[in-house]
Amino acid sequence: MSDPSRRTMLKGAGATLGAAAFARAVAPITEWTNDLSVEGFLQKHYKELTVEDMSAVLARIERETEEQYGAKVSVEDVRPTPGVQFAYALNLSVCIGCRRCAKACHEENNHDRATNNSYIRVLEMTNGSLNLEHGTVTYDHAVPAPGKFYMPVQCHQCDNAPCVRVCPVEATWKESDGIVVVDYDWCIGCRYCEAACPYHARRFNWSKPEIPADEINPDQAYLSNRIRPQGVMEKCTFCLHRTRRGKLPACLEACPTGARVFGNLADPDSEIRWVLENKRVFVLKEDLGTQPRFFYFFDE
Amino acid sequence: MKRLLPLLLLLTSAIGCERGFVDSRREFGPAVPEDARAHPVEIHSPTTLGVADTPLLDAKGRPIGVACETCHGPTPDLSWAAEPDRPEAFHEAVDLRHGELTCNHCHDAEDRTKLHLADGTPLEVKDAMTLCAQCHGVQYRDYTHGSHGGMNGHWDLNRGPRDRNHCVDCHAPHTPAYGQVLPVHPPRDRYLEVVEHDAPDHSAKEAH
Amino acid sequence: MSTPSSEQEVHEHGVTEAVISYPQFLWKALGVATDGNALFYVWMTALTAVWLVGINAFAHQIVQGQGLTAMTDHVSWGMYIGNFTFAVGLAAGAVMMVIPAYLYHDEDMHDVVIVGEILAIAAVAVALAFVNVDIGRIDRLWHIIPFIGRFNFPVSMLTWDIIVLPGYFLINLHVVGYLLYMRFLGRKPNPKWYIPVVLLSIVWAVSIHTVTAFLYSGLGGRPFWNSAILAPRFVVSAFVSGPAFIVLALQIVRRFSDFYVGHKPIVTLINILRITAVVNLFLVGAEVFTEFYTGGSHVAAAEYLYFGLHGKNALVPWIWTAVVCNVVAAGIFLTVDPRKNLWIIDVACVMTLFGLWVEKGLGLIVPGFVPSTLHEVVEYLPNALEWKISLGIWALGLIIFTLGLKIAVAVFTGTMHVDAAHDAGEV
Repeated sequence: MSDPSRRTMLKGAGATLGAAAFARAVAPITEWTNDLSVEGFLQKHYKELTVEDMSAVLARIERETEEQYGAKVSVEDVRPTPGVQFAYALNLSVCIGCRRCAKACHEENNHDRATNNSYIRVLEMTNGSLNLEHGTVTYDHAVPAPGKFYMPVQCHQCDNAPCVRVCPVEATWKESDGIVVVDYDWCIGCRYCEAACPYHARRFNWSKPEIPADEINPDQAYLSNRIRPQGVMEKCTFCLHRTRRGKLPACLEACPTGARVFGNLADPDSEIRWVLENKRVFVLKEDLGTQPRFFYFFDE
Repeated sequence: MKRLLPLLLLLTSAIGCERGFVDSRREFGPAVPEDARAHPVEIHSPTTLGVADTPLLDAKGRPIGVACETCHGPTPDLSWAAEPDRPEAFHEAVDLRHGELTCNHCHDAEDRTKLHLADGTPLEVKDAMTLCAQCHGVQYRDYTHGSHGGMNGHWDLNRGPRDRNHCVDCHAPHTPAYGQVLPVHPPRDRYLEVVEHDAPDHSAKEAH
Repeated sequence: MSTPSSEQEVHEHGVTEAVISYPQFLWKALGVATDGNALFYVWMTALTAVWLVGINAFAHQIVQGQGLTAMTDHVSWGMYIGNFTFAVGLAAGAVMMVIPAYLYHDEDMHDVVIVGEILAIAAVAVALAFVNVDIGRIDRLWHIIPFIGRFNFPVSMLTWDIIVLPGYFLINLHVVGYLLYMRFLGRKPNPKWYIPVVLLSIVWAVSIHTVTAFLYSGLGGRPFWNSAILAPRFVVSAFVSGPAFIVLALQIVRRFSDFYVGHKPIVTLINILRITAVVNLFLVGAEVFTEFYTGGSHVAAAEYLYFGLHGKNALVPWIWTAVVCNVVAAGIFLTVDPRKNLWIIDVACVMTLFGLWVEKGLGLIVPGFVPSTLHEVVEYLPNALEWKISLGIWALGLIIFTLGLKIAVAVFTGTMHVDAAHDAGEV
């Protein structure tokens, strides 16, 4: 106040210093913007993309995968088939807990190698109790162990899906064949769906996935197993890049005991329908009203 | 009514009034017609079927198999037998742990290259599943409905074939119990520590 | 007071005049905000430094992903969302000055209520900042903008939050801005222009914390949150943390400025605290009773929080410290005479702020995830990066709060006023 001009000058110096410090603080961002493209930034929601938009998007993803991972891949937008309603059933009497399904999922779906990520968690449960509290996923001994049974858990593709309901940006939704999908290019990564899911079925990409080029599954789809960007949610899609082309999901093919039954609920002669009609099936946490499309059963 | 259960499940779920779910109702069309199924379901024929292990090992240390016909065919070649002067010793190595069964319950006493059903009807070895099914009817029923036994290929036979495992792919006929295996692919999430609630005595190990 | 015609006149006169005087208001505010004694500069430089450390940590987090935090797929929300929840409470709690001032026409509150409104602005800014650092794709923030992105309203409770939080921010910004601007002009504020908004802000304050509680309590898969009294608990605890913070802020204003802060508003706030602190304890007790008396697997999360589960007990020291703080503070509010021993009350305010920060922060968010939905017990405590970013955001909040107070004090004490040239024709 004694010398206004000197004070103004000091203020200016302070502001300049502050701005320089700020610029330095945010400097790491430049590294991040290298990975971002304008077209990626402006990309519309999956449901708003025209056929031309989509082919441009798929080409961009293929190009970026080659640039960033060194692998030539084919990414397609595989759509549901009318008249098909997918469902899955799992025979707990037959499952031996070998976790080969989890491994197959890991490889099929281009999961991050560092975390051994998989959409399937296999719980070792104690005979006589379905209480998950007595389960463990980290067992590391010969299976099946006496007195134990094994319960693989993955996305239940609920008809009344809490994860879909909570998403603030409609980045996840239920498709006409019953599969709950995520638009990895629309998700903002708030992880509300991860909090909402009662089955621990959703995963977040905490970092950019790491996969050696020669381990990348090149047969990819936009809504399923393409390599996910950092900072978005992902989940089991019943291998829609396979199943929407009539093939069996990777976890089913990997199952050595045939514990897994997959098929079209709308086909009265399908295996899945036979199981639902002839076995005493149950769903996990039925009281939550999520109406899963994933059923469990024991042989009589 | 029982057949309608899954459909009812689907319909009642509309109460969820999800936008996504309404979408999924729209395309819920008629099922694929049965006669349109273009591709076969083929049962894998295991190489172990109709083959007996010899004490000889191949380059990879696996027992060399020899077909039934080699010794039991019209022109027997007994050079494979462990003790050529006592050829039955060849089969004494068989570890038979299959309930109360003995050799002739399944193998045909007249024609050793064949099996036979419980009523005595001879059966080609390749048709062994019929033999299994005599006692394991429940499993066979489940197998025929796709809820027992591994498979590969297509769920939709309109778009491709399916390969099914044979019984003996997983259950060795003489020791059919499914053995223990070591689990693969342990979870290695960020910061997941090994917690074994009900097995405090089990030594908890990190994945790798 | 004024006849309709003269009001009309003033209004028309105001519009033309505002073109000149409003930029001047902003310019002078900038001057006031960057001018002060040595203590002010030390305080602001320290806050800016902390904020910059946070910004830098955030930049690293953006580049390398949330993998840099301690969060996992098991505990997928942590420090950020915990602080978010607490900050929303602080913002909502500020309304506890507005209610006596405007609903009960407490004359002593009338000027100092501006402190509460500025707190609301700063706290909402903090809350919004915590959401921004929590999301994985800050570049896609535009996806949640209504009409431009895809807004899952009204199904997703998060979209409600996206409406009510910026809404509350704007409401308070309007009230504070209008009142200060009128004072700046030396005019009496026209009730028509702010009283309805103030009344709206009271309802809105309850709504922001109710919506935030519904965010959690609507999840059936998380028994720890899936409780009908979560929203009442949130609102009541907000009415503890807000007044506690303002009691401290008012004393700081009184000490470091010429702004007249009487004893009565502080006593009124302490009287409010006497009730809300006890009701908060009651509601927590009701929740704890229901959990533990019922037992079963439903209690696992509460057991983890208070006693540890399967040998995992990272939160136990935190929550018990918080319980002790809240109980002792409630006792102090009830027994100590603020006219004699105000400093003891101040200690209680600090204690209860810490207690509620734990109770509604880590103590609320983390047990929602422990045990996980498949009953795995994976623990979480924030790491250094999360502390840096969180402290940075709180520093930003304090910067906003300080500058807001600085401008308000300058306007209310008359050191900041419109230039005489523009003042011509005024009463």
